[in-house]
Amino acid sequence: MRKIEIQCLRYHPVTDAAPRWQTYEVPFTDDMSVLQGLQHVKDHLDGSLTFRWSCRMAICGSCGMMVNGEPKLSCETFLRDLYPGPVRVEALNHFPIVRDLVIEQSDFLEKLESVKPYLIAEEASPGKTFLQTPRQMEDYYQYSKCINCLLCYAACPQYGLNDKFTGPAALALLHRYNADSRDAGKAERMELVNAEDGVWGCTLVGYCSEVCPKEVDPARAINQNKINSTKDYFLRFFKK
Amino acid sequence: MKTYTRPMGAWWTRNPYYLWYMLREASCVFITVYALILLVGLFRLSQGKAPYERWLEGLASPLSLLFHALALVLVLYHSWTWFKVMPKTLPFVRIGAWRVPDRAIVVTGVCAAVACTVLIVLLAATT
Amino acid sequence: MQVVQADIVVVGGGGAGLRAAIAAAERAPKLKVALVSKVVPMRSHTVAAEGGAAGVTRGEDSLEQHFNDTVSGGDWLCDQDAVDYFVAHCTEELVRLENWGCPWSRKPDGHVNTRFFGGMSVQRTWFAADRSGFHMLHTLFQTSLRYPSIMRYDEFFCAELVVEDGQVRGVLAIEVASGEVFLFETGSVVLATGGAGRVFRQNTNAGTVTGDGMGLAFRAGAPLRDMEFVQWHPTCLPGSGILMTEACRGEGAILVNKDGYRYLQDYGLGPVDPWPRVKAMELGPRDRLSQAFWHEERKGRTIRTPQGPAVHLDLRHLGAKKIHERLPLITEAAKTFAGVDAVKEPIPVCPAVHYTMGGVYTNLRCATPLGGLFAAGECASVGIHGANRLGSNSLVEIVVFGKAAGESAADHARSSHSKGADLRKRAEQAERSLAALLDNPAGERLAVLRDEMRDSMEAGVGIYRDDAGLRATCAKLAALRERYRRGVKLDDRSRAFNSEWLSALELGFMLEVAEAMAHGALARRESRGAHMRLDFAGRDDARFLQHALAHHGGAGAPRIEHRPVNITRSPPKARHYGGEGKQAVLS
Repeated sequence: MRKIEIQCLRYHPVTDAAPRWQTYEVPFTDDMSVLQGLQHVKDHLDGSLTFRWSCRMAICGSCGMMVNGEPKLSCETFLRDLYPGPVRVEALNHFPIVRDLVIEQSDFLEKLESVKPYLIAEEASPGKTFLQTPRQMEDYYQYSKCINCLLCYAACPQYGLNDKFTGPAALALLHRYNADSRDAGKAERMELVNAEDGVWGCTLVGYCSEVCPKEVDPARAINQNKINSTKDYFLRFFKK
Repeated sequence: MKTYTRPMGAWWTRNPYYLWYMLREASCVFITVYALILLVGLFRLSQGKAPYERWLEGLASPLSLLFHALALVLVLYHSWTWFKVMPKTLPFVRIGAWRVPDRAIVVTGVCAAVACTVLIVLLAATT
Repeated sequence: MQVVQADIVVVGGGGAGLRAAIAAAERAPKLKVALVSKVVPMRSHTVAAEGGAAGVTRGEDSLEQHFNDTVSGGDWLCDQDAVDYFVAHCTEELVRLENWGCPWSRKPDGHVNTRFFGGMSVQRTWFAADRSGFHMLHTLFQTSLRYPSIMRYDEFFCAELVVEDGQVRGVLAIEVASGEVFLFETGSVVLATGGAGRVFRQNTNAGTVTGDGMGLAFRAGAPLRDMEFVQWHPTCLPGSGILMTEACRGEGAILVNKDGYRYLQDYGLGPVDPWPRVKAMELGPRDRLSQAFWHEERKGRTIRTPQGPAVHLDLRHLGAKKIHERLPLITEAAKTFAGVDAVKEPIPVCPAVHYTMGGVYTNLRCATPLGGLFAAGECASVGIHGANRLGSNSLVEIVVFGKAAGESAADHARSSHSKGADLRKRAEQAERSLAALLDNPAGERLAVLRDEMRDSMEAGVGIYRDDAGLRATCAKLAALRERYRRGVKLDDRSRAFNSEWLSALELGFMLEVAEAMAHGALARRESRGAHMRLDFAGRDDARFLQHALAHHGGAGAPRIEHRPVNITRSPPKARHYGGEGKQAVLS
């Protein structure tokens, strides 16, 4: 079996002042992902290597990490494509490291909650679904595919420089609800959209949409709303 | 718990994507300077024929030519990135039920820009 | 030791847990609901479910038909009163999800679309592309954010239930980030921790699906029911076990062996034409399809792949448009994980463990025999799946019974006023034994024990079982439990985010749950649904139309007792699939 070197950025919150690199040599087959490589390390070489994972099929969003400097899902990044290596793995950029490859994600969870990510709607008739045509669904569907993997936050330099920025995934989710024909909560979410750290924190670097594993295109969700925000700003003089 | 926050440092050097982005942003400096030079030219024109001729001569200097060559490249790059990103600023464009793909929007924009450029160059050459 | 007081604790933040928390919050808004999950809720395994959720919708459908499909799908081991309750509440829950924003796929007129699924006689499976579980989970999670009485404790690992005098008194959980043990003082606990498929080597499950809730209840004295019934999903990628949804077959895909032959016709599911046809050929139930594969392999008619034997799932005749519209996720997965373009090539598939029909025994209202302990979803056995679950009955089960469990828990919390004894001493004792795991100076590696368990389960408690194989696995599991007790040596001795420590705790649960499965299978000397015995072919209704209840045996093996099934109006018949019939028109 071929072997490949995986270099991991290690950090322990109690014993380490700063992160350090540690190298492992991993035997691999052509179908093995980086995640499986890390699992081999944990099972057989060093049980203390710590990382999040769950579904192994790129739908749960747990296994995001930097692989050779790019934000990736480790379960769908394959060692055969990185051979001969070495493969450098570190925790997702722009987030504080809790331990090894595990980041502190509470900031994102707060942002997620702040965008009111639920249907704000009139009561439906009891026992009846809202009507929604496939065309109406197309207006928001791609934004609903977000698996909250945080690769876009690791890609976004604005978030890295200013963690008050609401950020790509949260704003995409906000837009997902605004664009849903069943929703009536646009006005309620406007304040967040208009904020300095809302859509205006984005300078359209666009890397978020590049790295998104689910083709959500958060850059589009945010920048469409710059027009909405501008309209809202000018039209408010007429609302009174 | 004591987490570790990695410094941003020279983040733009760590990924080619960021370098290209910074180049896009930096191109605005050149575009601004170019616009200022044109404004100066306009002002000189208002002052009379001689000042205007002197401004035109200044444009022919090697430094000016170098600047303008660089600025042209960067404007072209900036325009290209502008069109590439244009679909992201628009809601979905539809013709009837068919959603116009982003690629089509980019291509349309670029073609329109090229057409305008050709038109202006022809006008400039024939008048 | 940190103490948290909560009126209700929901263990598990997947579909069932979130639905239970919402139901409790709606039923009794003044009660504090602690939602305790070892992962952040959107990582729960509900997210990976693909095919859809069943609910009677079409004019030509009826509750009676859904009832009959489910009872015969379960080979008459279902508690029919539970199935009646279940089918009567499916559609209203799916409508509620839609009202909460779930993007069910639509017909051109704007109404929700439904598709065919294995073992279902009428189109009644609601679907959101082929990411139904993903959309349901995210809808539930995002909706749960509206309820201020739901307090989330993300990344807390529940390690022990505190029970006194047959009543639940609290839950001990490890805060993963710090390794600190928390005591949740409560009189009402809802277990919604999912299945236990990871005890087998080849499975579709996430790493988190380790039967924690089943283990917690089992150790606390609640029996596990029908554990021998494990579902192999017939179409998964060989090696990884990644799921290729039944919805492919619901849209008309076919299964062929190495000769390009649609082999299911040899196993009582034919004739081949007309295709597609309900409850026939590839739209037969999962147990029959997985068993057919087993036979094909014995006959040498399966395809050899580097990851093991497989057959071909052929979607090509569906056309690119339909494949991309209805099955986008599996198209991606087939490309990424198997390097196959589903539009141009057939996908190699084989059976892998997918679902645990058995679980913590509950009644219709999700109550276990222990006071204040409720369970819902895959970790529970409420009696609707019997010996084999029909596809798309599980995604709707979690919301129907998630709601029932949440309401039962809320009612219990409101009505019980007894003040518990001081649990702190017990909690500290438990904390010491949890910490002791970290300090073993010698012992075996976790992965060694875990892999031996999985290989043994695969060999002895597989699609087809026999006495010798089952006894061997029972003995092996007892030996593994002994080795585990003697000590597992961890590389990671620290407390902060020690996932190796948590894996050791998960292994402890898995070994006990696996034992219940193996002993249950040994005691059931018949073949029914997903439990097939080579030495006892055929159903034995006279002796085994019974549920199997496993009681924890302490350090020894579990004790299995049998109890009657609740048959109300559908007496056991032969399960009939295949046959002539009308062509199914797929919309």
